[in-house]
Amino acid sequence: MDALASLAHGFAVALEPTKLMFAAIGVLLGTAVGVLPGIGPALTVALLLPVTFKLDPTGSLIMFAGIYYGGMYGGSTTAILINAPGESASVATAIEGNKMAKAGRGGPALATAAIGSFVAGTIATAGLAFLAPWLVQIAVNFGPWDYFGLMVLAFVTVSATFGDSPLRGLTSLTMGLALGLIGIDKLTGQSRLTFGVPELLDGVEVTTLAVGLFAVGEALFVASRFKHDPEEVVPIRGSLWMTKEDWKRSWGPWLRGTLYGFPIGALPAGGAEIPTFLSYVTERKLSKHPEEFGQGAIEGVAGPEAANNASAAGTLVPLLTLGLPTSATAAIMLAGFQQYGLNPGPLLFAENPGLVWGLVASLFIANAMLLVLNLPLIGLWVRLLAIPQPWLYAGILVFAAMGTVAAKPSVVEIGMLFVFGFIGLLMRRWDYPIAPMVVGLILGPMAEAQLRRSLQLSLGDPMVFLENPGSATLLGIAALCLIAPFVMRNLNRFKASED
Amino acid sequence: MKPQALRGRPDWRALTVGIGLIAIAAIIERDAGQQTITATYGMGPAAMPHVVSVMLAVLGIGHLITAFLGGLPVPDEGDPIAVGWIALGLASLLGCIAFGGGFILATTLLFALTARAFGRRALFADLAIGLALGVAIHLLFAKILTLSLPAGPIERLF
Amino acid sequence: MKLFGRVFAGLAFAGLALMAGPALAQQDIKIMAPAAPGGGWDSTARSIQQTLMQTGLAKSVQVTNVTGAGGTVGLAQFITGAKGDPNQLIVNGFVMVGAILTNKSPVTLDQVTPIARLTGEALVIVVPASSPHKTIQDLSAAVKADVAKAVWAGGSAGGTDHILAALFTKAAGAEAAKVNYVAFSGGGEALAAMLGGRVTAGISGYGEFESQIKTGKLRALAVSSPKRIEGVDVPTLKESGIDVEMVNWRAVMAPPGLTAEQRKSVTDMIEKMTKSKEWAEVLKARGWDDYFMAGDTFDAYLKSEQSRVGDILRSVGLVKS
Repeated sequence: MDALASLAHGFAVALEPTKLMFAAIGVLLGTAVGVLPGIGPALTVALLLPVTFKLDPTGSLIMFAGIYYGGMYGGSTTAILINAPGESASVATAIEGNKMAKAGRGGPALATAAIGSFVAGTIATAGLAFLAPWLVQIAVNFGPWDYFGLMVLAFVTVSATFGDSPLRGLTSLTMGLALGLIGIDKLTGQSRLTFGVPELLDGVEVTTLAVGLFAVGEALFVASRFKHDPEEVVPIRGSLWMTKEDWKRSWGPWLRGTLYGFPIGALPAGGAEIPTFLSYVTERKLSKHPEEFGQGAIEGVAGPEAANNASAAGTLVPLLTLGLPTSATAAIMLAGFQQYGLNPGPLLFAENPGLVWGLVASLFIANAMLLVLNLPLIGLWVRLLAIPQPWLYAGILVFAAMGTVAAKPSVVEIGMLFVFGFIGLLMRRWDYPIAPMVVGLILGPMAEAQLRRSLQLSLGDPMVFLENPGSATLLGIAALCLIAPFVMRNLNRFKASED
Repeated sequence: MKPQALRGRPDWRALTVGIGLIAIAAIIERDAGQQTITATYGMGPAAMPHVVSVMLAVLGIGHLITAFLGGLPVPDEGDPIAVGWIALGLASLLGCIAFGGGFILATTLLFALTARAFGRRALFADLAIGLALGVAIHLLFAKILTLSLPAGPIERLF
Repeated sequence: MKLFGRVFAGLAFAGLALMAGPALAQQDIKIMAPAAPGGGWDSTARSIQQTLMQTGLAKSVQVTNVTGAGGTVGLAQFITGAKGDPNQLIVNGFVMVGAILTNKSPVTLDQVTPIARLTGEALVIVVPASSPHKTIQDLSAAVKADVAKAVWAGGSAGGTDHILAALFTKAAGAEAAKVNYVAFSGGGEALAAMLGGRVTAGISGYGEFESQIKTGKLRALAVSSPKRIEGVDVPTLKESGIDVEMVNWRAVMAPPGLTAEQRKSVTDMIEKMTKSKEWAEVLKARGWDDYFMAGDTFDAYLKSEQSRVGDILRSVGLVKS
């Protein structure tokens, strides 16, 4: 097979010692910048792109791949260690990951994230090599109505994370939806709820909300309880490394996460957030230890991290086969290609197969490099938590603020971080779940845009959702997920009364 | 965390949240009413705000009802002074960015005041650590990676 | 802290790589890109940075990114922050002209000192390969016949693509306010909608659709520029009898309050830069067309663009007068 031979050639190029060094430097740089909360892989790559200008195309692309994967891993590291997700795709990781880190299981959490990323990246890269032409056909035919179906499904399943009070869970979610309304309406260019503040026109940044609610809110909460009931952070409890049990509990989520991440990532508007949330709720449902969810369940880190990485490889499907940059990172990758006068797209495979497969091979190698470099460093990362608490939380706040300041140095942005931090404190004290608010902000605007695009294409006819098999199926599954718990409960009651 | 035991007296937390939600619903509704531009085809920009504001209003009423039927869980005792120190730290960060105090000064103050919230008394030592941290971050990210961090008097020394 | 040790080790390399470069000239220039890293304005700013430093026209050049609201957040900051400073520049373009109006921006381009238009990109109108419309006249007839059924795909609402769709609809003899334009975030989604045959036609910068056009997945009906794109066999709208002309230009401007001398020296520096072979290489690598225009000609051009964009946005209903 042609693809295989080209891939092998790509590996031969990427495995030269100098190229390996570029990959290693890229991974280190990417991780270093990517750990800043608020600076995700896309911004990391953009900031470091000039560094790669100096190298030859192959070397540059390899370093580029390293920076990309490094940036992504950096985002999950902060999500796990200090509860500050570096990008919206790491929000799901933070939920369980930080709980694990605080319970002394940061080592296994970081390890399952790294290995899961590697496993998912490997499978997804293989998928890219062999399934791309076929997958892209489906991706292109995925219409706005289908996206809407997918988002409704995500909404319905995520509501499983609401905790014990539907009132408080729904309030949190709806507040997220309300925040999502702020800014310029994508379809008409109208500003909504901006109150004349130009900084609000671009809407509320997901990372600002997540860092505010998660990291700043947490610091405030821990401080408020410090005198009465000081929190105990144990850097390492039990094994630093993953135990046999951890492995057993991780491999399933890795594979399922990949199954969500790769195809959804390949969709032009799929993104990385939906697969990470779907993976999280799936693992929660399937886990043999559902009681651990919310307290630090390893499945809740393994699945979303795998989904995140697999979706990253998925975005390369439309980029390389059609020249469609479907994510911010892919758009920057495109810029990376263009600096060498290359235009990704249907012609690229024919005109420049060496480079394409070289890139695929470098992604692969960057992924492996990440694993090699980061596994030994996990011990170091985890020991950061051994810093005395006053300094630890002071450092976390400085870090969280710095990420926000660097991404958007405006008073309005810092002010929002401040306000969200206090809302996070109140929500913690009054027992409101926090994640649904972030989910509402991420999914709300996407769902609205797709719904309205669908209706615009159908000239206002709502039947469009039922006439298309894709959306009809997805909405059907969503309806089932919504009704099933009630039916099951009644069925059980019925059975119980028969006994 | 146990449910509000007092009967007869409404729970002030649930009341506050309920009134707050209804207020936000009203703001959203008002803003949506001011939209001058409608979509020629399909849904307009005001449709989704209407949906969200109705949801918020319903949840607000739900909270009001809850306030009279048991209320929200009562939180454990908190320490408002510690929270106040961090708030002061965040406020000085905001002030530094707003009035050109620069990133390093902001970091220094935020660090020291947060440490104070967690019971540290060695203010000068903490200020020194915060300063060192700020300088290190500034040198690494602003100088080498040309990330634009807000500059103040301390930054101009470099 | 160990963390920072590690960060430093990595960054030391980047520092070495970035600090290399000739140091000949006297000036320290600051360029604001009012958008996130990676976009068109950012790459323009960074290309200027690169060229000014390579040619020795400036000693050091720093690019800052201020994101928000089609660049108007950056513009506002530039107008207040850089007032009277001849060593600061801002990159902007056609998109900002529209964004100022749709976002009801408190600051406008009348408040800065125009220096020069640098580059421009032609927009292209395409249809899916399976479309019944073979020529731009076919499409024009279809728009006239039923404007609602002619669905357009393109970038953000009120942006270049939307404006061209409206201008075209008007020229075709239909009501511009009735144009059925679906705004997609990012070129990728719009392109997918076209390849999937869900829309009638699409508009974007030529570069974005180039490889789809070459492989025959999309059919290019017309380009919006005054002249055909070199080496591309696609007619212009004008020569097809549709009186619409539009270029997505990018320009560089200086702060308000410059003296005539200061303005001239900045213009000279930029002009020298655009004449350099380094700049020619940048244009070639990026696939940009040279649309250099400066001085009074550019002032007049800017004025006419502002009034034209204002008119069309009002007729589409995106701006209420």
